[in-house]
This record gives sequence, structure tokens and C-alpha cells, in this order.
Amino acid sequence: MGATAAPLRRVYATRTLTLTASLLAAGLGFVVFLQFGASDGFDAFDVLRAALIFASTFWLAWGAFTALAGLTTRPPAVPRDPGPLRAMTAILVPAYNEDPVATFARIAAMEASLRATGHGDRFHFAILSDTRNDEVAARERIWFLRLLADTHGEGRIFYRRRTSNKGRKAGNIEDFIKRAGGAYTYAIILDADSLMEGATMVEMVRRMEAAPDLGLLQTLPKVIRARSRFGRIMQFAGGFYSPVFARGLAMMQGRTGPFWGHNAIVRMRAFAESCGLPELSGKPPFGGHILSHDYVEAALLARAGWTVRVDDDLQGSYEEAPENIIDHAKRDRRWCQGNLQHSRLLLAPGLKAWSRFVFLQGILAYIAPVFWLAFLAASIAAPLFAPPIDYFPIEYWPFPVLPVSQVSKALALAVGIGGLLFLPKLLILLDAALRGRARGFGGGLRALQSTLTELLFSSLTAPIFLMFQTRSVLQVLRGADGGWPAQSRGDGTLSFRDAWAASHWIVTTGGVVLVMAQWLSPELVLWLMPVALPMVLAPLLISWSSRPSRSLLFTTETEITPAPVMRLHDAILARWDESLEDRNAA
Amino acid sequence: MMDLAKPDQFDLDRLAEELGALPHAPLAMPLQTLEPAPREGLFSALLRARPRRMGKAGS
Repeated sequence: MGATAAPLRRVYATRTLTLTASLLAAGLGFVVFLQFGASDGFDAFDVLRAALIFASTFWLAWGAFTALAGLTTRPPAVPRDPGPLRAMTAILVPAYNEDPVATFARIAAMEASLRATGHGDRFHFAILSDTRNDEVAARERIWFLRLLADTHGEGRIFYRRRTSNKGRKAGNIEDFIKRAGGAYTYAIILDADSLMEGATMVEMVRRMEAAPDLGLLQTLPKVIRARSRFGRIMQFAGGFYSPVFARGLAMMQGRTGPFWGHNAIVRMRAFAESCGLPELSGKPPFGGHILSHDYVEAALLARAGWTVRVDDDLQGSYEEAPENIIDHAKRDRRWCQGNLQHSRLLLAPGLKAWSRFVFLQGILAYIAPVFWLAFLAASIAAPLFAPPIDYFPIEYWPFPVLPVSQVSKALALAVGIGGLLFLPKLLILLDAALRGRARGFGGGLRALQSTLTELLFSSLTAPIFLMFQTRSVLQVLRGADGGWPAQSRGDGTLSFRDAWAASHWIVTTGGVVLVMAQWLSPELVLWLMPVALPMVLAPLLISWSSRPSRSLLFTTETEITPAPVMRLHDAILARWDESLEDRNAA
Repeated sequence: MMDLAKPDQFDLDRLAEELGALPHAPLAMPLQTLEPAPREGLFSALLRARPRRMGKAGS
């Protein structure tokens, strides 16, 4: 396997341990719930609910044990080719109705950062526009010329706009490879909001050079420039927890690591030979173009014998993220469709078993919320179907046998599930405090406060995401295609009215859940409060969390010390904005 | 779309196209097989099963 990857025996051991522990946790949840459910008489509803608990708990446990695995090791030392860079690398920046000023300023910043490494001449940029809006496209051309003038990038920075955006982003990349791929040994694939240090890109090439079997190397991008409360909480969570989860994933990946669609480098020949994506038979959402192409491309590279690896130690890789829950949910709708579409590929010929499991995980990630919701609905409705309590279950025994309360079992289950949710994050906090990583997040105390507040916030918003994800799954299952909406970037503040318009159905559902529970199972009302109350308060939470954040909580490394490439980006943006103002004034 | 009322933009568009042209170095990207070839399963074979035609007695 790739130079840094763990020996296969350790990979299989980690996979087996994580899988076994997750199945055991899920099995324990199943048994405990069955005992609790059977306390008032055993029926089919108890089995159904226990099965739903099994599936949901498995998913939670999988995430938790991945994090625990990640806490047990550090990133290994990485072989790299220290010699002069010979290979040519294309940096691909697909754009789809993006703000050209912000996007092209990022390119200018990365170009300057690369030049500072002394290897700028080994890298070309290709802006691959799929923009459908002619006005935006006209601005793209103007700002492209500005970019060329600023960087003296003629012959090193290219721009092309497709007349048809067939195949969406995957088709956009494919079009580039078919036209110009032969000129490059590697391609660094970015998103329009990606930002990378020049040194990181050089390092990625060096690692590719050192491992001839490496087809794709994925970095772990950090979220930057979040401004809203929601955005900053996600930014903190990504920066603080994700490296540990990614480490756990890296321990299990073997030769079949992930591709997340951007901030990764591919070996051009390997990618071209292995990743030509066909349209799937049938209509969207399950047929047609492959929406979440990145997972499939990683699986295809692995199928062709190439190593795909995530190097979680690589720093200097950044991206931006949605600023509010609604934009997050919109992006998630697209991902949901893409992941469910992978159900068509579970039996694709020749795939590695792990690639199939990764597809299954992606599907489970979106189906699990539906299981939780189905569990809640079944629990509310259960009393309607429960058999009458038999106080004289023993023949000829004259005294009644009163059922023993099994509330302790339900409590144990709730504590167990809470543990799976919270314990990994608390352990990551402890690890960060012990190893000094917390300094990058404002120190141990600030990191503790941020973690606890994040746990509270994620608990409050979990039912809202549960509803959005359930709706997405149901939409996909009934055949609705989500299309390819452009990413919303920018401020992202939502008024209460906007939040209400997007979430009133969640409020209604929360209200109905409470009323039904009060009517059918009054003893459940208190248990349901942590789920139903945030649903009723959804518009408030959505609007509040979209507002700008000025709190000292959720401080991240790049807020304390912006990365050099971020400073370059800021300086270029300021210069371009200034010249724009001058021109407007004239 | 080019705005004919702004001929200066005409030149900018052409300039961007010329200066932005990608290097000509085509690379083949063959389509991969992702769906198993359709194969008749037992269930569909059963559905399509018909009683065998028998000749009439004596014919």
C-alpha cells in the first residue's frame, strides 16, 4: 500500500475491532430495548422498535468507535520525494455560478503562495466554468483578465467555459482531462471555495512522486472564514473533532481511502484510465449522472489497483462551509440523493469489499435518521397495539403477578446512546488538552467551554437535521430529483420569517408529535421533549444561529493566526475591491 | 452572451477566450462498467415461464 499506510494486518484488525464493537453495542441496545418493551407484554411492535434501535445504534457506535480508534495513534511519518519537482501539475478550479472576485482572488493567493515556494512554474491553474448565468460568466471573463494581469499568469492560468454542463462537476473535470489531461502528471482538484498553501500542494506532489502506486491523495480541509453562530460552531467542530475521526478512518482505509471531491491530488493517468463515469440506467434520482461522483471515483481507482489515501497530517488545506442550517440542509439534500444513488452501485462488478462498505455507510448515514423517527413514531403508537397485561400468567397460581418496572432499562439505553454521542467528543477534548492541541482553540478552558456548548447546540439542532434528512430521503425515494443548485455563499443571515418559511413543517410535526404522545402515551411526553421541543422552536434556532457571532467561544487556529494563504487572499481581495470602488467612483 | 451594444466587451470576451485556451493534450477517459450486465434471474425466468406447447393427439 501507499508509503504511509498501515500494514494490512493492522488495517484488518482495526476494521474487525470497530465493526465488532459497533455490532456488540447495537446488539446490546437491541436486547435491552426488547426487555424494556416486553415489560408490558411482548408484541411485534417491540421487535420492530428493537430492530430500529439496533440499526440506529450501530451507526452511532460506528462513528464513536472510529473516533476512539483515531485517538489511539498519531499520523505516521510520510515518505516524500525531496528532489527537484519534475512533474507538471494542473490545479483545477471548477466554478458554477460563483462570485468570480472571491474565487479568482483565491487563485491569485494560491498562485502567489506557490511562487513563494520556488516551484510555481511546475503548476498551472485551470478555471473550469460551468456557469449557466451569462451575466456571471461575463464577469468571470473580465476578472480572469484581471487575474492574468495581476499574476502575469498568461500560459499558466487558463479559463474555459463549457457550453453544456453535462455530467456536472465530474463531467467538467472529465472534459478538462479529455482536452488537456495529457499535459500533466497530476491534477489537484479544488472547489470554488477551496484554498491551499503552496507548500501543501508541493508536498502533495512530493508524496505522489514517492509512491508510484498512489492514485489519489486526499487532504483533510479545515473550514475557515465562518462568521455566523452556526458557521463558527461547525468550523470549531470540524477543526477540533474531525482530525481524530479522520485518523480513525485512515487506520481503516487500507488501500481504499476516501475522496471527498476536492482538496485532493490525483495521478492524471490513473484517474483518466479508471474514472470515466457512465450514466446509470433509468431516470434520476437513482439513474442518470452519478451525483456523488467522488466516492465512486475513489472506489474505481481502488478497483483498478491504485492506492487511495487520506493523509490527515497534511496541513494548509482549507474550505468554506454553509453559514446557516438551511444552506447546510440544501447541500445535504444533494449529498443525500448522491449517497442513496450509491445503492445502485453496491453490487458493481469488481469493487473492493471496503468500497462497497463505504457506499453502505453513506446510505446508512442518511437512512439512520429515518430509523430514529420511525422508532419515535412506533413508540408513540405502541400502546395501541400492546396486548392487555396478564396478571395471572401462571396456571392455578391464585395471586396476581405484577409487571416489574423496566424504566431502568430505558434509562440505561438512553445513557448508552448519549455516551456514544458525547463520549468521543469529550475524549477528544481530553486528548487535545493533554497534547497541547487545545492551545489552537483558545486554550484548555476555552476548548472545554466550546465543546460543552457545541454538545448542547448539536443536541438542540439534531432533531431539526433529523427532519430535514428524513424529508430528503423520502423525496429521493418518491423519485424527486434535487437538481444541481448553486452553493449559497456569503453572509447567510436569515430573518425569522425566512426561517419560518423553511421550517414551519418541522414546527407542525413537533406539535403533532407532542399532541399524539399526550393522547396515546402520556408517559412518553417527557421523554420526547428533547426531540419535540427543538422541532417546535426550529425557526427560532435557525434564525438565531444564522446571526453573526462575536463570541470568544468556538475560537479556532485560523481565527487566532490566519494562515499565510488566507492573508494573501485578504490582501488581494482588498486590492481588487479598492480598484472596483475607484472605477465605480470614476 | 455578448452584448452587441458594448463592442469593447466583444474584445474582452475574445481576449479571455484566447488567453485562457487550455493546452491541447487530449487524454482518453474510457467509460467504466458500473452496472452488472443484465442477466435473467430465477424470478423473471419463472414469471416468463409458459406451459410447453404440446402437439394435438394424432396430429
